[in-house]
Amino acid sequence: MDIALTLKKARKASTFSKTKTKEAIWGYLFITPNFLIVLVFTIFPVFFSLYMSTTDWNILSQPNFIGLENYQKILGDSIARQTLFNTFYFTVVSVPLNVAFTLVLAVLLNQKIRGITVFRTAYYLPVISASVAVSLMFMWILANNGLANQMLTSIGLQPVRWLTDPKIALNSVIGVTIWRGLGLNMIIFLAALQDIPHELIEAAAIDGANAVQRFIKVIVPLISPVIFFVTITSVIGSFQSFDLVYNMTKGGPGRATTVIGYYIWQQAFNYLHMGYGAALAYVVFAAILILTLIQWVLRKRWVYSEE
Amino acid sequence: MAIIKAVTITILTFGAITMIIPFIWSIITALKSTENIFSHSAFWIQFPPDFSSFAEVWNRVPILRYAANTLKVALIVTAGQLLTSSMAGYAFAKLKFPGRDKLFLFYLATMMVPGTVLLIPNFVVMGFLGAVDTHWALILSAIGSTYGTFLMRQFFLTFPSELEDAAKLDGCNPLTFYWRILLPNAKPILTTLGLMAFQFIWNDFQWPLIVLNSESKRTLQVGLSYLTSEYYTDWNLLMASSIFTILPIIILFFIVQKQFVQSFKLSGLKG
Repeated sequence: MDIALTLKKARKASTFSKTKTKEAIWGYLFITPNFLIVLVFTIFPVFFSLYMSTTDWNILSQPNFIGLENYQKILGDSIARQTLFNTFYFTVVSVPLNVAFTLVLAVLLNQKIRGITVFRTAYYLPVISASVAVSLMFMWILANNGLANQMLTSIGLQPVRWLTDPKIALNSVIGVTIWRGLGLNMIIFLAALQDIPHELIEAAAIDGANAVQRFIKVIVPLISPVIFFVTITSVIGSFQSFDLVYNMTKGGPGRATTVIGYYIWQQAFNYLHMGYGAALAYVVFAAILILTLIQWVLRKRWVYSEE
Repeated sequence: MAIIKAVTITILTFGAITMIIPFIWSIITALKSTENIFSHSAFWIQFPPDFSSFAEVWNRVPILRYAANTLKVALIVTAGQLLTSSMAGYAFAKLKFPGRDKLFLFYLATMMVPGTVLLIPNFVVMGFLGAVDTHWALILSAIGSTYGTFLMRQFFLTFPSELEDAAKLDGCNPLTFYWRILLPNAKPILTTLGLMAFQFIWNDFQWPLIVLNSESKRTLQVGLSYLTSEYYTDWNLLMASSIFTILPIIILFFIVQKQFVQSFKLSGLKG
């Protein structure tokens, strides 16, 4: 009797573990194709790049291990310092402006107005347009005899050398970056706004809050987690910007618009300083991690209820 | 209330015009004859329009070849990404195996790695594989996506487990369940992820610029970028070429607008 029961249990357990192993095998099989690609083109490169940054590799000759020399070189590289400064400037100007504009836009677009989809589509178009085409359009608009200057002179103002004046060029690139990025963050905010219960806004209105007060006191706190998220992704994106600079200014005039993404490309693929380029990329990685960490710590001060 | 609405519409209209003008102006420019680009003011519109800049670009630049290259890569990457992401997403969401959740956390961590860090080592890896200056370099690195896996997993988690149990009783193994039941029921999320992948590859610039050398292998964006050194200030030709590269994705946008919006909303999950 007892033996029979134990046998039965044992058999049950073994078929159970058999189906369990079978399921595990299926699991590994299903993951393998995706995991192989991620392993070879994301996980391995992260470590390989760290190794490369400790070599003097230039593709043409064998790599030699040189320890932290590349990182020391960055400290003494005045161009690297300027491009890092340009990148910080780029981020500090473009991210807050982008977040402010897109937030206001999203609130305005989150209303029942006739033809609202036409507006939304208009703000989207730049997002789906390729960066190269956008660069070409704005090179022509910002050319010395382009649309922007013709508009200025037609109302009696002096023309501006948008892309060739070293004091102005970086701001022009920032302007185009903001123009192109409005639609993307706008749609994320719009999605967040649509999740806010109507009753909350109406209650605030009944309590006498006007539109501006409702925006600052009710809407902004409610979607602050999304604002936090958008800020972080925008900072990360901003540190990697390349396309517009490459196509519109080639980093010039002089080094005025060289951001770190462009400088890394130049070091690695123009001068073939692969090791030095990898070290610069790791500096970007570290900067992004530190900035994200700072924002993460600061979020407790302003991001609403995130327990 | 009426005042608020009027102010809203005014701001939105002003903004929308700012968004549209560059496109309009590039069309106006593309329809001018070369000799009229600099001789007239910017606000002057040529009538009747001159379509010869489109013809000239079409004849002088292998734009059809660039488009074919881009389309080939974009379609293969889209199909590959949908397959590998949905398979891995299914395993992470529904199948039990040792180390699953740790591996998934690891996947999430890799999404934090900035693309800039991957460019140089990936170029070297492509060199090892003999894939530099081939379309394989664009395809291989993109057909497995951690983000796509994450998206698919989140979707499959919401899939009712009763269906799964019923399928198991009917003798379905995970493969038949995935192929016959899961995928047909995941069409909306697959369309969304597919559009994201397609749009990304179509517009991608830095990576193809780095790995492709031969003119015959260029994608649209890389080909367009090289035109700037050839046409210099022939703005009508440059604008015509830009329109050629933007138009397909805008047409696609209007066909599947709803899914596009969805894909951008979901891209908000990224990070």
